[in-house]
Amino acid sequence: MSDVYIVGAGQSPFGSFPGESYRSLFETAYDRALESVDRDLNSDQIDEAYLGTLGVGGRQIGLSAPAVTEHVGLHGIPTTRVENACAASGYALRNAVAAVESGMADLVLAGGYEVMTDASSDHTKWWLGVSGETEWERLSGTTFAGVYAQMASAYLDAYDATVDDLSRVAVKNHANGAHNPNAHLGFECSLEDASNAQTVADPLTLYHCCPTTDGASAVLVASEDVASDLSETPVHVAGSGAASGAVGLFQRDSLTSIPATRTAAERAYEMADIGPNDVDFAEVHDCFAIAELLAYEDLGFCERGEAPELLREGVTNPDGDLPINTSGGLKSKGHPIGATGAGQIVEAFEQLRGDAHVQVEGAERGVTHNVGGSGGGVAVHVLERGFRGESA
Amino acid sequence: MSRGVAAAGVHVPRFRLATAESADAWDDDHAGGVERKAVPAADEDSVTMAIAAASDAIDRADVDHDALRFVGLATTTPPLAESKLAPRVVRALALPADARTATETASPTAGLDVLDRALAADGPALAVAADAPEGDPADADHRMGAAAVAFLVTDDAPVEHANTASHADEYPGIRYRKRGSTEVNALGVTSYERGAVRESVSRVVEGLDADPEEIGGAALHQPNTGLPYRVCGDLPQAAVASGTVVDRVGDAGAATVPFGLVRALQVADGGETTLAVDFGGGGAALGLAFAGSLDAAPNVDAALDSGVEVSYERYLRERGYVVDGAVAGGGAHVSLPSWRRSLDGRYRLVAGRCPECGGLTFPAEGACGMCYDCVDFARVELPREGVVEAATVIGQGGAPPEFISQQDRDGPYAVAVVRFTLDGADVTLPMQVTDCDPDHVEVGDAVRATVRRVYTDEGIPRYGAKVTPTE
Repeated sequence: MSDVYIVGAGQSPFGSFPGESYRSLFETAYDRALESVDRDLNSDQIDEAYLGTLGVGGRQIGLSAPAVTEHVGLHGIPTTRVENACAASGYALRNAVAAVESGMADLVLAGGYEVMTDASSDHTKWWLGVSGETEWERLSGTTFAGVYAQMASAYLDAYDATVDDLSRVAVKNHANGAHNPNAHLGFECSLEDASNAQTVADPLTLYHCCPTTDGASAVLVASEDVASDLSETPVHVAGSGAASGAVGLFQRDSLTSIPATRTAAERAYEMADIGPNDVDFAEVHDCFAIAELLAYEDLGFCERGEAPELLREGVTNPDGDLPINTSGGLKSKGHPIGATGAGQIVEAFEQLRGDAHVQVEGAERGVTHNVGGSGGGVAVHVLERGFRGESA
Repeated sequence: MSRGVAAAGVHVPRFRLATAESADAWDDDHAGGVERKAVPAADEDSVTMAIAAASDAIDRADVDHDALRFVGLATTTPPLAESKLAPRVVRALALPADARTATETASPTAGLDVLDRALAADGPALAVAADAPEGDPADADHRMGAAAVAFLVTDDAPVEHANTASHADEYPGIRYRKRGSTEVNALGVTSYERGAVRESVSRVVEGLDADPEEIGGAALHQPNTGLPYRVCGDLPQAAVASGTVVDRVGDAGAATVPFGLVRALQVADGGETTLAVDFGGGGAALGLAFAGSLDAAPNVDAALDSGVEVSYERYLRERGYVVDGAVAGGGAHVSLPSWRRSLDGRYRLVAGRCPECGGLTFPAEGACGMCYDCVDFARVELPREGVVEAATVIGQGGAPPEFISQQDRDGPYAVAVVRFTLDGADVTLPMQVTDCDPDHVEVGDAVRATVRRVYTDEGIPRYGAKVTPTE
C-alpha cells in the first residue's frame, strides 16, 4: 500500500457572500490551496477531482462538479461530484486518497462548495431537511435541529449533563473561531449568552446550532513521489475510515451515539495503527452542540456520558490535552455543507504545519470527523505531520 | 331479527370556543344559542374525525373488522370537493375492501342518509358522520362547530330500527353553499325557513308513525338551539331536549343530529321510541325511529363537557381563517405512489418482524434493521401505545416548509422518537405529538397513536399516525 499525502489545502472565507457564486468561492479556495503548496505546482499536474456538495438551492444539481473544475481551468480532467450531505467533502477526500493509493492518479483535487444564504427562508428550510430520512422522519415535522435536539433530549435524560454543558461547546468554539479570519461567526460568546439565547428546538438554543454558510474548500492529495517533488512538509493521510448508518435517527440502536462515527473511527485508527489516546487534536463535526459531545465519545476520547466532563475540565480547550475544533468548528467557522469536510482538512493541514490561527503546540497527529445528516454517513481521517515516519 | 344500532363512537375535537369569545370579538352574537362549540385542530378534518369516531365505535362493538359489509361516510366538508372519502376510512381501519361504500356530502341530512343506508344493508355496517362546517366569520360562523359520530349497525342490535321516513319538496335558499365556497349560507328569510323546516319535519314525524306518547327522545334538525323546539309540533319538549346538543358542540353539519341521536339513545330508558329527523337545505328531510337504549357508546355528555377552551384569536388560527397555506418552494415531496405504499405503516403502524432474528423493523421493507438480513418480513401491527424516548419542540421558524402552515395555525409542536413494544421486541418511530402542550412532552411519557392530517402535497391531503399523551 503506497502512502498518500496532502500537499496543499485552502478555503475561501466562510460566511454570507451574496456577491459570490459557488464557482467563485471554489476558485478562491482552489487558489489558496495552490498557494499553500511549498513548491511551484503546475495545475496541469492535477489528474482528477472529487468535489462535494449537497447542492443547496438547486442551482446546478446535475454536473455541478465539472462546472466548477472547468471554471477554474482544470479543463478536461475527470471530475466527480460527491454527495453525502454534510459529509460530502470528507468523502471527496476519501475518494481522492483511494484514487492516489490505487495508482490511477498521482495528484488529485478534493474539496467542496456550498451556497446556502441566498435563498428565501422557506426555501432554506426546505433544503435543510433534505438529508433527513424524508418519508417518516422529516414528515414527523423535523429538520436537523429537531433531530439533534431529540438526541440532546435523550442524552440529557440519560447522563449527568445540562444545557450549560451544551453551551460550553459554543463558548469554546466561538473563542477559537474569534481568531480565525475565515470564520463565519468569528466572535466570542459567554455561557450565559449561549444558554439564554432563544430556543431553536428544545433543549437547543440558537448558540447550540451552527449557521448556514457559503464557502468552499480545496485539498491537494498526492502520491509519495509527487509529494516529494512539491512539498517540504506534507501531511500524511495515515488513516481514512468511513461508515454508513441508518439515515433516520429512529432507525438506529442508540439515540445518544452515532454508530457510524464509532465504526469509521475504528477503521481510521486501525489503518493508522493508532488509538484515540494518540491524537493531539481533532476537528469534529459540531453542527449542533450535542454532536460535539457525542463525537468525543464515539471517537473514543472518553467513555459514554463523560463528554461534559472533558469540556468542564478544559481538556478540549486549545491549551488542554486534546484541543478540539481550534478552527471554531462548524459552530463558529461555519457549515457550508459540501465544503465542511474538506474545510476541516484545511485546519488540520495548517495545524500540522504550524500555521494555524490557534496553534496547538507540538501538533503531530490530528483527526477530522465529518458527519452526513444525523449520522447516515461518516468520514474520519487521521493526519500526521511530514513524510511517514517523520512524526514523533 | 331486530336490525339496528349495536354501538356508537364519537369524536369531539379537543379545542372549544365559548360564544362569549366570538361575541366579544364581533360585538355581536350570531351563535343562535350555542354556548360553546368544538373547534377542530389544525391537523383535523372530516377524514381524521371520521376515523377517530369509527375506530371508537368498532372498539365498542362485538363485531370483527373483517365482517363489515357497508361503510358510509357523511360530511358537508370533504377535504376534496370531489373524491370518495369512505375508502380512506376503509384503508385506515383495515376494513374489508369488498364492503360497499358510500360518501354523502351534499347536506346535513347526509349523516342520517348513511345511517339509513347502513340499516338497509346486509350484514354488519358502519355509518360515520364527521363535519366541521364554516360560515361567514361575522355571522353564521359563530355557531359552526365540529364533531364526528359513528354507528355500528348489526342484526340483533339493542337499539332496534323501527322505521324510516322521508319528505322531499323544493325549498331553495335555506342552507346552501355556493360552488367553490367554504361558507354555509342562507338567505335569511326567517319565517319561510322556519315554515319549511317545520313542514318537512312534521311530515317525516308523521311518516315515522310513532306513538307520540312513546317518544322519549328526538334529535331534530338543530342549526341553532331554538329551531328544534319551534318545529317539533306535538313532540314532548323533554324529548327534544334529550336529543339537542348543538348548544354544546355547535352546528356540526351532518354530524349534529347523529350526535344528538346518540345522546338521546344513551339517556333513553329502553322502553321508549327515539327519533332523529334532519333537514337538508334543498328541501329534503329524513327521519329514523328507533326503540331501545344504547350502552355501547361513550358518555356523550362527558365528551361534550370536556375540552380545552381557546381564545377567538386562537380559534381563527386553528381553523386557518387567517393563515395563508402557500409555502415558497413547496414542501417535502413524496410521490403519491410512494405514499400509498406506506399507508399501512402510516395508519396502523404495521411493522416487519424478521423471521430470522425476531426483531422489528419500521417501515416493513428493506433489510432487517436488527440483523441486516434481507428477509421476507411478517407484517405485524404495533400496539397503539408507546413511550417517548426523545423529544423536542419545533418552534416558529424551525419547521420544514410543509409544516409551516400547520405551525402558523396550531403553534409550536413536539416531535418525538417513540418506542413501541410487541411481544418482547421493540422498534422506534419518529412521530409528531398532537393535542397537547408541546412543552410538556418529556422522555418517558406514555403516548397513543391517532390518525391526523400529516400535510398536503400536490393538493392532496395525506394522513397518518401522530401520537397524543395518554396521561
